Amino acid sequence: MSGVSIIGEREQGQDVRTSNITAVIGLANIVKTSLGPQGLDKMLVDSIGDVTITNDGATILSQLEVEHPAAKVLVELANLQDKEVGDGTTSVVILAAELLKRANNLVKNKIHPTTVMAGYRLALKEMIKYIKSNLTVKVEDLGRDALISAARTSMSSKIVGSESAFFSEMVVTAMERVKTINNMGKTKYPVKNVNILKVHGKSSKESMLINGYALEMGRAAQGMPTSIENAKIACIAFNLNKFRLHMGIQVLVKDPAELEAIRQKEMDFTKDRVNMIIESGANVVLCSGGIDDFALKYFVEAGVIALRRVSISDMRRIATATGATVVTNLSDYETSDEKFEASNLGSCSLVQEKRIGDYDHIFFEGLAETNCQTIVIRGANEYFLDEVDRSLHDSLCVVKRILESNAIVTGGGAVETSLSVYLDDFARTLESRELLAISEVAESLLIIPKTLAINAALDATDLVAKLKVFHHASQTAEDQSKKELKHYGLDLINGKCRNNMIAGVLEPAISKVKSLKFAIEAAIAILRVDDMIKIAPKLTEEDKMRLAQQQAAAQGQDFF
Amino acid sequence: MFANPMRQQPVMVLQNNTKREQGKKAQLSNIKAARAVADVVRTTLGPSSMLKMLLDPMGGIVMTNDGNAILREIDVAHPAAKSMIELARAQDEEVGDGTTSVIVLAGQILQAAEIFIEKRVHPTVVVNAYFKAMEEILKITEELGVDIDVDSEEDIKKIVTSCIGTKFSHKWGDLIVDLAIKATRTVVRQSGKDVEIDLKRYAKVEKIPGGTIEECTVLDGVMFNKDITHGEMRRKIENPRIVLLDCPLEYKKGESMTNIEMSNEEDFKKALESEEEEVRKMCEHILRVKPDVVITEKGISDFCQHFLMKGNNITMIRRIRKTDNNRLARVCGATIAHRPEELQEEDVGTMSGLFEVKKIGDDYFTFITESKNPEACSILLRGASKDVLNEIERNLQDAMQVARSVIINPKLVPGGGALEMELANRLIKHSKEVEGLQQWPFKALATALEVIPRTLAQNCGGNVVRLMTELRAKHSKEDGIWYGIDGNKGTIANMKEIDIWDPVAVKLQTYKTAIESSCMLLRIDDVVSGMKKTKKQAAPQPEEDQPGPDEGHTFGDERDG
Repeated sequence: MSGVSIIGEREQGQDVRTSNITAVIGLANIVKTSLGPQGLDKMLVDSIGDVTITNDGATILSQLEVEHPAAKVLVELANLQDKEVGDGTTSVVILAAELLKRANNLVKNKIHPTTVMAGYRLALKEMIKYIKSNLTVKVEDLGRDALISAARTSMSSKIVGSESAFFSEMVVTAMERVKTINNMGKTKYPVKNVNILKVHGKSSKESMLINGYALEMGRAAQGMPTSIENAKIACIAFNLNKFRLHMGIQVLVKDPAELEAIRQKEMDFTKDRVNMIIESGANVVLCSGGIDDFALKYFVEAGVIALRRVSISDMRRIATATGATVVTNLSDYETSDEKFEASNLGSCSLVQEKRIGDYDHIFFEGLAETNCQTIVIRGANEYFLDEVDRSLHDSLCVVKRILESNAIVTGGGAVETSLSVYLDDFARTLESRELLAISEVAESLLIIPKTLAINAALDATDLVAKLKVFHHASQTAEDQSKKELKHYGLDLINGKCRNNMIAGVLEPAISKVKSLKFAIEAAIAILRVDDMIKIAPKLTEEDKMRLAQQQAAAQGQDFF
Repeated sequence: MFANPMRQQPVMVLQNNTKREQGKKAQLSNIKAARAVADVVRTTLGPSSMLKMLLDPMGGIVMTNDGNAILREIDVAHPAAKSMIELARAQDEEVGDGTTSVIVLAGQILQAAEIFIEKRVHPTVVVNAYFKAMEEILKITEELGVDIDVDSEEDIKKIVTSCIGTKFSHKWGDLIVDLAIKATRTVVRQSGKDVEIDLKRYAKVEKIPGGTIEECTVLDGVMFNKDITHGEMRRKIENPRIVLLDCPLEYKKGESMTNIEMSNEEDFKKALESEEEEVRKMCEHILRVKPDVVITEKGISDFCQHFLMKGNNITMIRRIRKTDNNRLARVCGATIAHRPEELQEEDVGTMSGLFEVKKIGDDYFTFITESKNPEACSILLRGASKDVLNEIERNLQDAMQVARSVIINPKLVPGGGALEMELANRLIKHSKEVEGLQQWPFKALATALEVIPRTLAQNCGGNVVRLMTELRAKHSKEDGIWYGIDGNKGTIANMKEIDIWDPVAVKLQTYKTAIESSCMLLRIDDVVSGMKKTKKQAAPQPEEDQPGPDEGHTFGDERDG
């Protein structure tokens, strides 16, 4: 025993590698069953009893309280994938775990981890090259149907799977409508411009797409009109309560009558402001703060829809979408008077209040500037709505990726099998030790079609073997007609192999490339670790006090 | 949890206290929980249903047979059961009635899936079959709907009667039905082609214990539980001019911090005088429009009362609720004013014919009635005890919702389980055309629908097996679709003849909610519980405020990919 030691635990070498990888595999096993169209959902219950029902890998992992440090890396990985791509979170975790499992076996066979890592990197480079040159298809060649198919593919594993035809159409329409060209001249499809509202009741089929923006709130007063055409919208980021001086400012008056004047002025201040807004031509007023009851009356009389306590982010969206300016104060730079410019107003063709379920909603339709879209999801209960929300968000991201990058690949394990066959061949051309690592990558990739098949209760070995044959044929045969075999993937409903390009199982190419990158990088990060030191938590003053008290109490008990 | 083969010490991935239930076990336990919830409310379905008495932790009691009201009070721990309870709420908010049926049906549908799970049929197969069946059900239901005439009192009455028929208050027969129809018709407001029926805001149920049920009425105006502020004021005014305010009629200090420096005694007097003067001015403005009644949401000072009474013998009521004030504004045609100095002639309400303060039981109530065109109303309920009144209120709410659904979507289907029986019959026939493994769950769902007539039969103490077989036989014939269970007599009857109807809107919603939620529960294969609620996945992100340079016109949501 050496004299130098650390307070805490230390694990080294093979031990730490094995424990890390076991943890990672454990985590991957949790999400494994949610992959693919026949995958199932997880129900997560926290200590308060709140329930989340989901099929989304990133959501599952972030809700679980993962303790193991290596497993945490994987959770981060899923979150990263969610942020960057939006879809494919489950597959990236499964792939990373499989890569690690195989790497560990190599290391156990006395191959240095750095060699394995180098092999993984080389494999990644080759895979990306191969995807780009051989497997992607331009969307232009396929048209709008490809978008719908891709959206449907991303939904197929979710609760909305059986209604995917309905929702994919909705998602694609929404994304097409939010097309914007930014100031750098690039065409963008911001997912943020699609607003998702959840109202329970009715069924998922009665969800609707609204060409405009919607807020979940009612008019400030019942006397206001319920709908206004050709609305002029004012966005006000201060409250319309009675005017008051800031804290700490005191007014000292001699004559009591003046007190009355102050009081009067306080009201008139707000009244003037309200009138200024009304005079500028506004007929819809959004206020981020409160509106005093007395001020509401002026709005009611002028036939204006006023909304109070609009959240600032909603207001900003509406302002941008309608071309309004969010006004934070009314002061004028040149004079000391206050004024409200008509140029601050935004416009849209229709503002109306509608009741959905038991709640009032304000709809802004026909927005002047950008095309915000709103999807109102209906469904049996809140858990259902939340899950539909997550699924739609994933699909929106998928459609966005395709529209922006314009390249798709076939899903259903087609790309993975193809890459696997290719890497296997590629590995044989090398003479170095990396060969071993690369052929392990090739094997690992097959975990995706295997898991898909297992989840669908099919014979994985048989199907994957068949798939490999197709892909091998497509890569080696001279015959042009065989080339199309590269699109062969699994048909999980019937348990067969089919051309998934024709069947419409499509995914954005960028999503595949990114998930391969993330998975390999995460695997490398975990593989590089050969020493884990856990420092025992330091005792704080409080802990010491408590310990001392406990001891004292114990002694006291002895004493009596 | 995941044993490491190399070393004996297990590697802990999750925290110790998290529990997991996986695969078949999770699915079966979810189904069990859902069935347990369904069993709670099963006996409250149909005309021969029984009430439940629930004790809340505060010691209060709730007596009801409203599915939603029962489940709302029950505190369940199982996540799947929670999901079921949400269903009743969704149903209640969307259509108001059928809360019990939705739970019973969902429970049965899940139970029907149990055998498939046991036999290792993949849940997605079951789910897809269920969705397919749902489409069929919705199609058939729409098809079977019978149009009715909304303006005909008879037709509406028929349907509301059959809704009330299953409730506690059905022994008073037409009374509650008439109340519900009258109230609903009162608050109908046509704006263009849209029909607005806002029962929540404009039809208020006021419960006053005491008296008899027969004294329940729908007022052609509103009432609220407030007395006049001073005994000397007039208690009965015909054709009153009413001013509605939402400001206090007393001296109020300004919002800004103000101090007065007083140097002599005179100043103090002056200060008081000016306060008085202020109130006096306020009163003069009110007197300018010559009202008979002044009602405000806030307080009225004694001084002000004195002034207004002397001025025009005005009757005053203070501190009424905002919602009451809104209803009042609709009834008497007044605009709610805030500043007395801005009162105008148009703001005064003159539409109602009678203002009266009555003493009922031990309390004083203000009635503003005999309105020409009341677009709001109060429903006055009288009855022996508070619990009974609460239950009648719930029944009335359901009945009004039904009336509302019918006015908006005037289509009816036969009740008494006739529709379910017909659906089951047709689906079973149809199931033979469904390909593959899906055929079985499809058929199972069809059979599950029979739970509604079966429960009806059970609840009225009929011979379940015989009734069901007989009913099935009836429906297999051409013109059998009208036959269902007469829940009062426990026999089979033609629903058309005994006038038992349900609105299509309610039925459609019931099927949609029940099937969709069952599908969601079936898709779960893993239940993880016991996580701490520390990490919310939607943690606020600072970047929200500063959109990147290439984002252009995007805003708000940090979840963008």
